Amino acid sequence: MTERTSVYRIFWRLPLILWQGAFFVVPVAFLAVMTFWLVKNYRMEPDFILTNWEKTLGRGVFWDAYWLTLWRAALAAVIATAIAFPAAYTLAFRMSERTRRFALFCLIVPFFTSFLVRAYAWQVILAEGGPVNAVLGSIGLGPYVMLNSGFGAMVGYLTLVLPLVVIFQTWGLSAIDRNLIEAAWNLGATPLRTLVRVILPAARTGIFVGAIFAFILTFGDFVSPFYLGGSKPPTLSILIIDTTKSGQQWPRAAVVSMMMILTLFLTSAAALRIAYRGRG
Amino acid sequence: MTEPLVRFHEVKKRYGSAFAVKSLDLDIQRGEFVALMGPSGCGKTTTLRMLAGLEQPTSGTITINGKVMNDVPAHQRDTPLVWQSLALFPFLSVVENVEFGLRMRGIDTADRRERALKWLDRMGLAGFEARRIDQLSGGQRQRVALARSLVTEPEMLLLDEPLSALDAHLVIRMQGVLTKLQRELGITFVYVTHSQSEAFAMADRVVIMGQGEIEQIGNPREIFRAPKTRFVAEFVGRNNILAGPVSGGVMTTAQGPVPVATADGPAQIVVAADTVSLSRDRPAQGPAIQAAFLSEEFAGTVIICYLEAADGTEFKAQVTEAQLSALQPEPGQPFWLTWDASRVHVMKA
Repeated sequence: MTERTSVYRIFWRLPLILWQGAFFVVPVAFLAVMTFWLVKNYRMEPDFILTNWEKTLGRGVFWDAYWLTLWRAALAAVIATAIAFPAAYTLAFRMSERTRRFALFCLIVPFFTSFLVRAYAWQVILAEGGPVNAVLGSIGLGPYVMLNSGFGAMVGYLTLVLPLVVIFQTWGLSAIDRNLIEAAWNLGATPLRTLVRVILPAARTGIFVGAIFAFILTFGDFVSPFYLGGSKPPTLSILIIDTTKSGQQWPRAAVVSMMMILTLFLTSAAALRIAYRGRG
Repeated sequence: MTEPLVRFHEVKKRYGSAFAVKSLDLDIQRGEFVALMGPSGCGKTTTLRMLAGLEQPTSGTITINGKVMNDVPAHQRDTPLVWQSLALFPFLSVVENVEFGLRMRGIDTADRRERALKWLDRMGLAGFEARRIDQLSGGQRQRVALARSLVTEPEMLLLDEPLSALDAHLVIRMQGVLTKLQRELGITFVYVTHSQSEAFAMADRVVIMGQGEIEQIGNPREIFRAPKTRFVAEFVGRNNILAGPVSGGVMTTAQGPVPVATADGPAQIVVAADTVSLSRDRPAQGPAIQAAFLSEEFAGTVIICYLEAADGTEFKAQVTEAQLSALQPEPGQPFWLTWDASRVHVMKA
């Protein structure tokens, strides 16, 4: 009996193991190995040198890009979490089940078009002679330069992550036992204190998971900083492009990638720990 | 008569076109243990929730301590409720759960901790204060929920089927805990349940509700032995109901003539299953009707026999094990039911 169960277990896990092995573990291992290779006459040669790590991590450009990317990803996660919450709260507590399902479907619709197309759309909307400046101009403001700036990049990041964050938060909030909210009122909590003391702690996991997703997607995004942020100063994703383009420095780009993977791994692990702390 | 703690005056609650509570007039006295009992959908929980301010009445007034409460929001009332699901906060420790109400009232940290610990101790939960809720047993959670509701020393405690999720042996124990607490504290308990045994075991007064209206209010004995309406007679106890016109001390029922000591006119009588005896032959005297045996149900020390009269009416008779083995009933077999005519309860038709 146990033998059969274990065979079944392996059988059902096999696709996941193969997929993760072939398309995640092996490439990452290859990437890690590549960081020690040598580039000679624009061609890579297997080797074991530490130069790529020293040259990359020794440059101020890398660290400027690193802190910029980290800061932007953290900021985008915080802003997305804050903007998404009222929407998720409304969807979870004020809407009927039907409306909620329809709204969640609408939140998936943006993913039907390529993010690149959506970024191009923002280029038109945020342009100096675009509709946003036209509206602001009609009340005597602007024109503002919104493209090719940190603001432009942030608009891109939020376009990418906001629907996902709303979905995660709505799930988190919908799962709260309504009796807990009523119990808080019943014990003398005002609506505001109910939100802070009961709803937020009870929805903590959904809120954190949404924020983690926002952070991960923003941290690695290339489209927003390139097409809307003007690629200067460069983020890590743009640094990778630049490094591969200039002199075929694939191993050094791999170093940047390894640093990104490491950072995402550590931050997500820490955030998930907080998200699930005190949960069974 | 002193002013009641709670007064419902012509309270109605409507959801769309459906009435959850049709028209409720009810006074609840200080220090009373009142049970609201009825089948699901009878409006008992809605009534309790209106008292806590979690639902607003469509019309009518609810007064607590002489003050009209209709527009007082839930968080400004002192009407703690114990939920069926208990609704303990899973992200807070045991003592933080108990402290919650005090914290919301702005009691300072040291004071509220002391009061919470005192209540945990009283509930036999000393040493459990740092536990998480999911590390407690069902009975322990129940007591945390009680401590959380009582820590603010309210004048009344509302309970919404708090024992229905517990194992049978724990229910009996918690009934003891609740009645003892209510006596010691001297506060009002308003207890919603669909369980007759819980209501009758604990309450001073039982309010039977059916379809949004009060059917009868009385102490458990009155309700059990003298149901006012057919609904109550069918809902509580194991009762047989006979109906028909009475003339000269004889009621003409669908099951035949039955002697009844009541005035002429239409009437209904309630014959409790425990006052009915069964026999194969027609008894020499007293009321008797004939019915075919259907099935039996073991109810602990006694057995309930179900029988069907020729017109399809179901009858119940409570017998002992010895009586059952003497009768040896087979399904479909006819029996005579008889009872002591002086022990029947006469209802208005």
